[in-house]
Amino acid sequence: MKLLKFTFALFACAILINCSSDDDDNNEDLTDEKGDLILKFDNAVGDYDFIFETSYTKSNGESYQLNNLKYIISNVRVTDTDGNVYTYPAEDNAFIVDELDGNNAGEIFITLDDIDAADYTAITFGIGIDQERFALGAEGQGDFLDLASEEGMMWSWASGYKFVRFDGVFTTSTLTDEPLNIHMGSVGSSLDNYREVTLSFPNTVLVREDKTPEIHIKADISKVFDGATSVNFSEGYDQVHTDATETPVIANNMQTVFEVHHVHND
Amino acid sequence: MFQSFFNVLIMNKISVLLLIVIGILSCSEASDIVKYEPVTLALEIPSNFPDIVYNLDNNPLTEAGFELGKDLFYEGKLSSNNAIACAFCHEQAFAFTHHGHNLSHGVNGGVGFRNAQPIQNLAFQTSYMWDGAASHLDLQPIIPLTSDIEMGETFSNVVTKLQAEPYYQEKFTRAFEDGEVNTENMLKALSQFMVMMISSNSKYDKYVRNEDNVTLTELELNGLNTFQNKCATCHATDLFSDQSFRNNGLSINPLLNDQGRYDILEDPNDLYKFKVPSLRNVEVTYPYMHDGRFSTLQAVLDFYDSAVVDNGNVDDVLLRADGSYGITLSDYEKESIIAFLYTLTDDQFLEDERFSEY
Repeated sequence: MKLLKFTFALFACAILINCSSDDDDNNEDLTDEKGDLILKFDNAVGDYDFIFETSYTKSNGESYQLNNLKYIISNVRVTDTDGNVYTYPAEDNAFIVDELDGNNAGEIFITLDDIDAADYTAITFGIGIDQERFALGAEGQGDFLDLASEEGMMWSWASGYKFVRFDGVFTTSTLTDEPLNIHMGSVGSSLDNYREVTLSFPNTVLVREDKTPEIHIKADISKVFDGATSVNFSEGYDQVHTDATETPVIANNMQTVFEVHHVHND
Repeated sequence: MFQSFFNVLIMNKISVLLLIVIGILSCSEASDIVKYEPVTLALEIPSNFPDIVYNLDNNPLTEAGFELGKDLFYEGKLSSNNAIACAFCHEQAFAFTHHGHNLSHGVNGGVGFRNAQPIQNLAFQTSYMWDGAASHLDLQPIIPLTSDIEMGETFSNVVTKLQAEPYYQEKFTRAFEDGEVNTENMLKALSQFMVMMISSNSKYDKYVRNEDNVTLTELELNGLNTFQNKCATCHATDLFSDQSFRNNGLSINPLLNDQGRYDILEDPNDLYKFKVPSLRNVEVTYPYMHDGRFSTLQAVLDFYDSAVVDNGNVDDVLLRADGSYGITLSDYEKESIIAFLYTLTDDQFLEDERFSEY
């Protein structure tokens, strides 16, 4: 009987130790396990899905139609339930989200391959390319330089990236279908327009070798013009390139564009 | 009997010799296998220069990298018509400027809107181009390579062209650990070549470093003295540029209406500002100014003395006591400054075979 009690106590201890040493409900050992994570970007204008050549109206009554919509995402990292941060390998950690690459539903997919298996609660990413990466010269850009160049995300007259590229036309009370070009980026090392956003997941995202969750990120691009600051096309925000006053406003507005709409655990 | 023994011996000797020859041949064949065996290139920083800006840790200099960079610098395939190499507008004898051209021309008859700058001492510079449009040497070649009026190409096209050539496959293999013919390695190789292009052995350099008992003439010394008093605020250090952007009061050419650094950040304070150019090898880099409007140094000094115009944003350093802009210079001062500037000509650099095409 004594022996039985002792055994039972030992058993309880073992369970306790097991529980405290691992937050997972099922005592799963995820060491060295890798899995994939899919980011699904869905551009929208408020409650409407974004569609090319469709007119959208801003808060001040000005309207716009776009035929080109792309932006750079980089330095993607995810935080797990223990607060550990997994950062995607630097050399592969820059992407272009191009509406033209979208499926019929206008969804653009980025797959993060072989990330640490864990239970993730939040994602952080940068909009554009940070100064540190740019300062590495050719070493830091790798193949992304070619991609950005092909996608028209680099200036040819200055060596820098366009972080955001919106091309189309705008209409105001006095002007009709005038050219609209929002090309925002950092300017060498003299103007830093790189921004980061952190988005929490509504429920935990489980990455496993055999489970590839999808994070549905909604990008409300109307906030580029009606975000932290509302801007008017008629006041110079129809052509935004490297201007030291206008580009930070667009960069700050871009920071308000993204939200995690929902996640699919596989 | 004895004779035949000798014959055998001789025959044997020949076979041994043959064997040795074959051995050597196959040895040399073996060492011809193309691979990455980096031979470090040392960069000597002249004692009268400031610190290097370029970060060599991200792109260590090697002999093979430098040689590849040189090949690429002289390679027409970097342009859309396969004819316009970097060296087309950057000729060594003129400190790698476009001899005599105020503005350079590129593919499809395009004409640029600024004067080609010399390629020298770039590892010490904080920005590139007249308006500082590039802040990293590796990324500077993007501008001329992709510009419609210069080389008019895309990186992917250039890489495809180079990949098709066994010559370049071999060169890239020798120069880089991953051996890949790609944009990153192409830009790194070009930087390695350009980083090595240091001009630091002019008569002036030898004088300030007390080398070879070099002395300056009285005229040159007076020129140096006046230069230090009246020019060296902007043309500072032995790089002869403080690397700042300044508006020196040139009249605006309405045909070009070049707003200089303003185009980069659209900051009104940057209107008509251009990067202070180095004066090294200035004797051979004519014509002068961002648009090559002055063909002689005399014209340049005459301009500073009496032709600076108030275009609304002229640098305060040029403001005279009477409220006008310019640098007052006597005829003798101009003559002596020019004599001094000629001491900045570095024939060793202009003829250095390491940087020559042939």
